[in-house]
Amino acid sequence: MASSADTLVTAPPAALPRRRKGPRRKARRGRAGYLFVAPFLLFFAAAFIAPLAYAAYTSLFRTRLVGGTVFAGLQNYREVLHDQAFRDGVLRMARFLVTQVPIMLVLAVAFALAIDSGRLWGPRFVRLSIFLPYAVPSAVAALMWGYLYGPSFGPITQLADNLGVTAPNLLSGGWMLPSIANIVTWEFVGYNMIIFYAVLRAIPAELYEAAAVDGAGPVRVAVHIKLPALRPALGLTAIFSIIGTFQLFTEPSIMHTVAPNVINRSYTPSLYAYNLAFTDQRLNYAAALSFAMGAVIVIVTAAFVLVFSRRRARS
Amino acid sequence: MRPAATMSAQRAAPTVRINLLAVLRRRSVPLTIAMFVCVAYFLLPLLWLVIASTKSDSGLFNTFGYSVQTRDFQLWHNVRQVFSYGDGQFVRWLVNTVFYAVASAGGAAVLATAGGYGFAKFDFVGKRAAFAVVVVSIMVPGIALTIPSYLLFAKLGIVNTPLSIILPSLVSPFGIYLMRVYAADAIDDSLLEAARIDGAGEVRIFFQIALRLLAPGVVTVVLFTLVATWNNYFLPFIMLNDPSLFPVTVGLAQWNAQASGGGGAEAVFSLVITGSLISVLPLAVAFLLLQRYWQSGLSAGSVKT
Amino acid sequence: MKLREGNGHRRLPMLMLALIAAIGLVAAACSSTTPKSTASTATISTSTKGSITFWTWVKDMDKEVALFNKKYPNIKVNVVNAGQGSDEYKKLQTALKAGKGAPDVAQIEYQYVPTFTITNSLLDLAPYGASALQAKFVDWAWGQVAKDGKVFAIPQDTGPMGMLYRQDLFDKYGIAVPKTWDEFAAAAKTLHDKDPKVYLTDLPPNEPGAYVGLEWQAGARPFDVQKTDTVGVSLNDTAAKKVSAYWSGLVKDGTVATDPDFTDAWYQGLASGKYATWLTAAWGPLFLQGTAKATAGKWRVAPLPQWSAGEQAAGNWGGSTTAVTKQTKQPAAAAAFAMFLNSDPQSAALLNTDQSLFPATKALLNDPTFLGQKLDFYGGQTVNQTFADVSSTVVTSFQWSPFQDYVFSEFNDTVGAAFTKKGDLDAALDSWQGAVVKYAKEQGFTVP
Repeated sequence: MASSADTLVTAPPAALPRRRKGPRRKARRGRAGYLFVAPFLLFFAAAFIAPLAYAAYTSLFRTRLVGGTVFAGLQNYREVLHDQAFRDGVLRMARFLVTQVPIMLVLAVAFALAIDSGRLWGPRFVRLSIFLPYAVPSAVAALMWGYLYGPSFGPITQLADNLGVTAPNLLSGGWMLPSIANIVTWEFVGYNMIIFYAVLRAIPAELYEAAAVDGAGPVRVAVHIKLPALRPALGLTAIFSIIGTFQLFTEPSIMHTVAPNVINRSYTPSLYAYNLAFTDQRLNYAAALSFAMGAVIVIVTAAFVLVFSRRRARS
Repeated sequence: MRPAATMSAQRAAPTVRINLLAVLRRRSVPLTIAMFVCVAYFLLPLLWLVIASTKSDSGLFNTFGYSVQTRDFQLWHNVRQVFSYGDGQFVRWLVNTVFYAVASAGGAAVLATAGGYGFAKFDFVGKRAAFAVVVVSIMVPGIALTIPSYLLFAKLGIVNTPLSIILPSLVSPFGIYLMRVYAADAIDDSLLEAARIDGAGEVRIFFQIALRLLAPGVVTVVLFTLVATWNNYFLPFIMLNDPSLFPVTVGLAQWNAQASGGGGAEAVFSLVITGSLISVLPLAVAFLLLQRYWQSGLSAGSVKT
Repeated sequence: MKLREGNGHRRLPMLMLALIAAIGLVAAACSSTTPKSTASTATISTSTKGSITFWTWVKDMDKEVALFNKKYPNIKVNVVNAGQGSDEYKKLQTALKAGKGAPDVAQIEYQYVPTFTITNSLLDLAPYGASALQAKFVDWAWGQVAKDGKVFAIPQDTGPMGMLYRQDLFDKYGIAVPKTWDEFAAAAKTLHDKDPKVYLTDLPPNEPGAYVGLEWQAGARPFDVQKTDTVGVSLNDTAAKKVSAYWSGLVKDGTVATDPDFTDAWYQGLASGKYATWLTAAWGPLFLQGTAKATAGKWRVAPLPQWSAGEQAAGNWGGSTTAVTKQTKQPAAAAAFAMFLNSDPQSAALLNTDQSLFPATKALLNDPTFLGQKLDFYGGQTVNQTFADVSSTVVTSFQWSPFQDYVFSEFNDTVGAAFTKKGDLDAALDSWQGAVVKYAKEQGFTVP
């Protein structure tokens, strides 16, 4: 990797005109930046900005079956603020967030530490097995777990029957959210674990050597070297998990086919927006609701970042 | 930005390996057992999927989930059924999935690499603002984008075409964020300067110098986008009407939905289950074979972040 | 890092350019596109060339298409399964709204026809000769698709409701076939007391079509659509309350199950004898035959229990029509296909024998071969005869709302949820009513 750079550096500078490091050179270099970012930004404009602009525009109107389209200003947004179903969905996702995400990330850290500890037999097998569920599309994972949870040929119920115990109905109202949380955890622990493991592998050897000199045992090494190294990655994965949680759609949507009355129209904000747009044909309101959802995500993420960096600064 | 870190990471490998050898004697049985129990949690559902694919519909309902019925081994029958049902829809779906995933991953990698390099190594007016917008867009909920995209694409006449899937998938804000961080770290400004002094054009510099240094990051973006597009359900679900364009995720969900709905419904459970198994295999195999690249790509990418 | 502006020129940041491009794109896309309705009343001939797309979730339509092509060999029919029921309607609605992407011909169930007529999306088939078909179809079905001389869809099949019951379970537990709902309630209690694992029937909380069918039988008239901008909503009228009070009792006593239907658990229940009856539509018998093979010979068919002894009333659950959308570029060909598919005697017969659809044509409903068909699965009973008799007792004046997708989806969350929680059905009915009225008013309707 270093060879081509080396040849360039060692090329004789003799034949060159005198260097001109004036503003013109820097300006030309700056302009080249446009060249590289232009393709991305063009597609970004087409695939992100255009639809968002259109959604923002749409959210200012109301289209009714009788009366056509009228300008409504911020009426849709005002309605969102009073929408109980939206609030319920957001709160449900908040409950999901404060339980599932910490559990998933703690497990991911624990697994990464275990594999990195060098005290496992078959660490590669363990690593791969935990990562494997990430290869399963979430729609397929939801279908599969739906069958596993199901009372007719799900092994959980079968086992319970064999033991003479009634299995809890994992698809019922009280259990549905934990059941979905389980699916999401199963799918993504491995992905987060791999990120943490990569960070652990990159810890410089000097730190371990210094710790060995100090006579630190494995636990102290974990607490004082490994965990601090993981902090930034933890922050990042937490942020992505927060964003992902609020956008939950696929798993509830598939679960709706097996438990149609537990997953109601507004079970998650994304599902609610989808139903508003396609079942109710209220595209304007759905657009406003989506922006409101985006605002919630930004607020929660920002709050998390603030708390997280403050705690980092303190420690 | 911190070349020293890169070099010490490389140095860490041999040193840590020596440490490992010393520690080999101290492998822990309790820890291994605990981890293998956890591994069971991750693998047992997939094992169920494999075993369930060997059963017929009645076998599913009447036998224990983990018992293999050697007398009524229906795997080949089920597989044949999956591939032949609906005039071989499933094969088309697999082909579609590969096509969408590869096209999106390739295109996204190109855009993100060039873009990340541009943001990392050049100064230009509006750079900060543009990048900030891109990063913030990671937080935009999928639903806020997909539905208006659908309406826009419908007016442009590209809804229900492969383009309606690939176009949004080409834009990976996370990818460009990753590539920017990676480019800033992996490419020394002095290398670029030297090349410029030699009179090399920017494009040439990019292809001959930068790309090689960015390779692990590029691999990460490719893999990440590949998996994301392969597994995507929501976008194709909204955009596509014609089943011959479905990727496997949407197709399987449709088979599943076909079981529910009066007048024309039919129970096709073994079809959905075996189809699910087959849909998982390609990526699973790819993961197994490409472990090394996953490892280095993600480590390079996430460490830099 | 300071940003430098070079050479005195003001350079447009990349972002600005991108934004302008985006706005341009949006502006271009936002130009209104009105659906083209080429009002050509020309009928097609056997040499007419064309290609039409047909959205349907009924499987294996190729034989019917082949029949059509025998008459019109140069019209290619592209059959696409764009999703089942509600899934297809969502896509259809958005495509129609966007002005592009809708098929030429689409399968639309009776309850959703008004949804598409109110947005003026269905082509009037009268100019293409559809009015002549009126005599071929049962009156109440025709009433659902035709109004004021316009024909918006051609009936394909119907779903008059009846009761499929397990003769062997009735014999085992000494239950007589209930002829009234009171007898049914008593039988439910007896059965469940004798064997707590068996229920007389399952009342699915996710099947508004079936539940409304039962209300239909009781004389409920939830919607009254006389003018295009006025919708009377009475989901909680006397008849509906009578039905909800009745089922409330059974659900609270636990003598009927409340499992969602068409799930793996439900299929299992039918096959294992958990449910002794299935209150279903005329397409039910053949469907059951395909899915509960192990119980062959044990089932029988009877009309639904009645509210008063000796009465003969029925409701309808499901059944589809074939309609032509206004986005079609080949109206004559599309109209010809829709009309042929459902009214051509051979095609209509195939729909019954191959796709298990219960006929909407008077011809088939009076055909001795059809009526005399003995099904072994039902102990040699002439199932079709029973349902054909029921079909003639379906009340004709039932109407659907122009936003039925919303109404049904709201059912799941109000009334359906009450089934599952064994809550107060009466209150749930009122919630349903309230939600629908609110929605209707929001949509600009006058709700008297």
